[in-house]
Amino acid sequence: MKLLKPSWVNHNGKPIFSVDIHPEGSKFATGGQGEDSGKVVIWNMAPVLREEDEKNENIPKMLCQMDNHLGGDDKLVMVWKRAAYIGPSTVFGSSSKLANVEQWRCVTILRNHTGDVMDVAWSPHDVWLASCSVDNTIVIWNARKFPEIVTLLKGHTGLVKGLTWDPVGKYIASQADDRSLKVWRTMDWQLETNITKPFNECGGTTHVLRLSWSPDGQYLVSAHAMNNSGPTAQIIERDGWRTNMDFVGHRKAVTVVKFNPKIFKKKQKNGSSQKPSCPYCCCAVGSKDRSVSVWLTSLKRPLVVIHDLFDKSIMDIAWTLNGLGILVCSMDGTVAFLDFSQDELGDPLNEDEKNSIHQNIYGKSLAITTEAQLSTTIIENPEMLKYQQEKGPVEHHNAADHETQAPKLTSVVNGESLEDIRKNLLKKQVETRTADGRRRITPLCIAQLDTGDFSPALFNSVPILPGSSMSSQLTPQLSSDSNTANSLGLRPASDPPLAPQGKAPDAAAESSVNPLGTGAAPAVNSNNIKPNLLLTSAAKIEPMKALDSRFTERSKATPGVTISSSAVGLTMLDRMKDGGPLKDPKPKEETSSDSEDKMAVTKLSFTKRKGEVEGPEVVEKKKKGRPRKDTKMTPVSHAVQQVTPSLEKETSRVAAPSAAMKLPTVTLQKVFSLQISVESSVFVEVENEVSTVGGVRFSQLRCTREGREWDTLLTSRILTVAGSSEVIAVACEDRTLSVLSACGRRLLPAILLPAPVSALHCSGSFVMVLTACATLSVWDVKKQVILVRNVSLLTILSGTDTTVSQSLLTQQGVPVISLSNGRSYCFNSSLETWNLIADKQDSLVQCADFRNFLPSQDPMVSSGPLAIMQGRTLNAGRLASRLSSTPHHLQQGMTLAYLENQLASALILRSSQEYRHWLLIYARFLVNEGAEHRLRELCKDLLGPVHKSAGSIWEDTVLGLRKRDLLREVLPVIGQNLRFQRVFTEYQDQLELLRNK
Amino acid sequence: MAKVQVLNVAVLDNPSPFGNPFQFEITFECMEDLPEDLEWKIIYVGSAESEEYDQILDSVLVGPVPAGRHMFVFQADAPNTGLIPESDAVGVTVVLITCTYRGQEFIRIGYYVNNEYTDPELRENPPLKPDYSQLQRNILASNPRVTRFHINWEGCAERMEDSENVDPAPNAMLPPSCPAGKAPSLGLMPDNSMDCL
Repeated sequence: MKLLKPSWVNHNGKPIFSVDIHPEGSKFATGGQGEDSGKVVIWNMAPVLREEDEKNENIPKMLCQMDNHLGGDDKLVMVWKRAAYIGPSTVFGSSSKLANVEQWRCVTILRNHTGDVMDVAWSPHDVWLASCSVDNTIVIWNARKFPEIVTLLKGHTGLVKGLTWDPVGKYIASQADDRSLKVWRTMDWQLETNITKPFNECGGTTHVLRLSWSPDGQYLVSAHAMNNSGPTAQIIERDGWRTNMDFVGHRKAVTVVKFNPKIFKKKQKNGSSQKPSCPYCCCAVGSKDRSVSVWLTSLKRPLVVIHDLFDKSIMDIAWTLNGLGILVCSMDGTVAFLDFSQDELGDPLNEDEKNSIHQNIYGKSLAITTEAQLSTTIIENPEMLKYQQEKGPVEHHNAADHETQAPKLTSVVNGESLEDIRKNLLKKQVETRTADGRRRITPLCIAQLDTGDFSPALFNSVPILPGSSMSSQLTPQLSSDSNTANSLGLRPASDPPLAPQGKAPDAAAESSVNPLGTGAAPAVNSNNIKPNLLLTSAAKIEPMKALDSRFTERSKATPGVTISSSAVGLTMLDRMKDGGPLKDPKPKEETSSDSEDKMAVTKLSFTKRKGEVEGPEVVEKKKKGRPRKDTKMTPVSHAVQQVTPSLEKETSRVAAPSAAMKLPTVTLQKVFSLQISVESSVFVEVENEVSTVGGVRFSQLRCTREGREWDTLLTSRILTVAGSSEVIAVACEDRTLSVLSACGRRLLPAILLPAPVSALHCSGSFVMVLTACATLSVWDVKKQVILVRNVSLLTILSGTDTTVSQSLLTQQGVPVISLSNGRSYCFNSSLETWNLIADKQDSLVQCADFRNFLPSQDPMVSSGPLAIMQGRTLNAGRLASRLSSTPHHLQQGMTLAYLENQLASALILRSSQEYRHWLLIYARFLVNEGAEHRLRELCKDLLGPVHKSAGSIWEDTVLGLRKRDLLREVLPVIGQNLRFQRVFTEYQDQLELLRNK
Repeated sequence: MAKVQVLNVAVLDNPSPFGNPFQFEITFECMEDLPEDLEWKIIYVGSAESEEYDQILDSVLVGPVPAGRHMFVFQADAPNTGLIPESDAVGVTVVLITCTYRGQEFIRIGYYVNNEYTDPELRENPPLKPDYSQLQRNILASNPRVTRFHINWEGCAERMEDSENVDPAPNAMLPPSCPAGKAPSLGLMPDNSMDCL
């Protein structure tokens, strides 16, 4: 066994609470304390494993620091993902200047715990992520659909401090301060067993209780347990959850147990007669007594015990993938690496052997099938074999293709390189004035968060200055230190460290030339700046100290409350009037010519400020056409920021009221990209006139769906694109509409539209077109039926100046149009009517008070079409509370009317979740207000006829929800009011009767 | 967890004549769509002696901010020289960029600024009354001091009163070219001041 304490793995002396090795084995992470917050650092494994790599300065040791777990905020689980295509960068403002070699991005924040999170564990196959917390709960997250919660495991009565999954995925075990270890079933998430006996004697607390399950699944080993007043690690057998054995020997509580992922068999010795030995497991145990022991389940005594390795308690242990090494971290802020040989531990079984053990014990259904195993699966179907063989080279080809294209794509936004954009950013960025005269800048979106395609060329800290010389950029670097050697040492880090990136795109290459090209400049500059700085700083050392506090203290001069720039102007004027540093301007002006300049300056700013104060009037006009909150309302298929004027906005703003029935058409853009589906990230890039072949021009449509890409060519220029998980619709300049499948196959020949397109939406297999002639059509392209046939919007566009501000298509294929007058309508295809579903001016919305009837756990349904069109109605009650003087019966009436409106709207929108949501609120309201007739009618409809007659037209479902299930949900609500005892028993009996039938 | 991370600030047009506008190219990343605008301010510290001489050069709202990486250039007029104490015009001072969300400051980026005469003659014998037209402003762009504050991203300032007490990282920094002898004892040095040693 070899022992190594890599001193470079540290959190600057702060405790390290946790360590884990990447499944791929090339890196590991430590979690611990940072400056003022939690901190995770990712380290390179190679320098730990090989001494020559440790000495090689070109091999980075620290790969990334993640500083974002802010103190006090730690009720979160953050899931990070390595971001592709990002070059190294420093943490802005951290002057350690150590570049992050790898970029990791937080992809999800999981919020549910109400206290610090103590442990997290991925389930086998990464289906679930479990987290446990000091709030006594365990949350199981759906790892395939973060942040969805699968379930909440409640039952512990103390801080839950450790988690481990059964390697075959049938159970999860947790250990808590409540002196219990609980095993939960993953099938129904119920408690399988509660083990308390070995923990009865446990007094005092440990920081963590990291228990572990053996790789064969047969044993579960707890952290801190007691046996005859001695600290142990309790062995729990899967078979009957018996607790007959334990690991004894540590002098203080066991904090962490970690099983080796491998199963071993005895090393075959040459010559000796071979009796097939029983496979065994290996386990590392760490304790508060600062020592680590390693056990083999085939031996009665520990394989090795290492004392005095650390100054403080062991906090975590991680095994390397090959099962021959462990990383141990401690409260004292250090990490140790233990390297074993196969002679010591035995021969690890390979995956197949391990699987056959699993299969023997648990049968095929539970056995783990790994990716590696899949590749060795025999292809039984000759056709399949053919496709598999064909697939091979294609994949290679694609990979190569991708490599050459990727850099080009990433360094370009809307056809412009980022470098170009940076040069003109100030001129190009959209700046407006708000109603109160404040400047408002729309930032340029340079990367979507979920694509991972960050631009690599950007985050070198060298600014691009069109006019000024390069030397200016280097001066700060020089002046930062008088010690040349030192500053040289620091240089590589503060320079754009682009070199490690193999496939640097053009733009990056360009900028990496900068430091070289200007290498001569420093000498000149350093001469005139450095001595001066020394002079001034020496003379001003005291004031400098005073200045320092400004960096860290929230200034009184900048209270959180926003100060409008006009107000700033005013305060400055005030100060001048008050006589401040500039007393009476006039006499001064006469006395010296020197002050004349100064006056000119102040005067200038004076008038300018004044202009600003008076400005708003003019500015207001400019602003009118741009309602600020537009983007928030953007429906399902919303334009990505890269599209400068988003299409929806376009429709709402450019609308000419005079041409009463004409809706604006979509303006043609040469290149644009859209995110067409929010839930599964689907992006579409359109490039019009991409290539000309013999005078014929083509437009290209490229679609990226969850990493897979396809493209297609169209002959006419593409105006707009919409898509869903099933179809993609493309509207072209020549009034054609093309419908493609999710994978880019054309489903229908081009459809000729009666007029140019104004808005286009897709949802499921539905396609909706709003034409410039203000007509609406909706098709179901899968069933090939028309749902809405060229219906005119004339009915709803009644006023002279109303126009369409937003349109959307629900998942059930219901078209919804919202107008500039604040009203929203949906079109019901069976009644062929326009139905009002939302009205911003509706006084009912403001006066209805139903806050008391909102479900407590159920979060407000905010994603349904009704909620989107109405915006947040949670404010609804706000006005109501102010209207408390309103007679109760009036308020009651308004609330009733409002709730019934909501229910009917949800029904007509076929939004089942919203229907259920409002139904329950409605039922609560009826019960509370004692509206018996309505309540009975509601229940009657939900129950339906008990004896079904032939003539019955009652449907047993509404919007796909079973009515009787809804009634079962409503019944407990009814039961809350004793007055309705009769109603309650009546319907409960009938439901019971029906169930028994 | 902060929803907005400032990734980089590039100081543009630097060094420049004193009267030129300040220009900062700010790149930030936002974890999720922000319903409210960010408010950025540039504050010029007129005198080390007192906050009284702080000037808010300008403040802008930045929005809408969807999840993603964004950049913009924040340009603000040079400070009003009339409000700067004459004795503090030449020499080292500080410019601060702050950002607030829902009225709460969550990041403060400070730069040392060195104002000096370019003319060696003037440098030797500076006029009693500062001649701003001859002054050059040099922002020490390589040495930003970043302080992050913990705020409540979901709600407004009232609910975060306790966070006011959260101390930021000790950031007792040194002037950029302090003589080694005057460095404070090591124990007081924050890690991010390594480049001064």
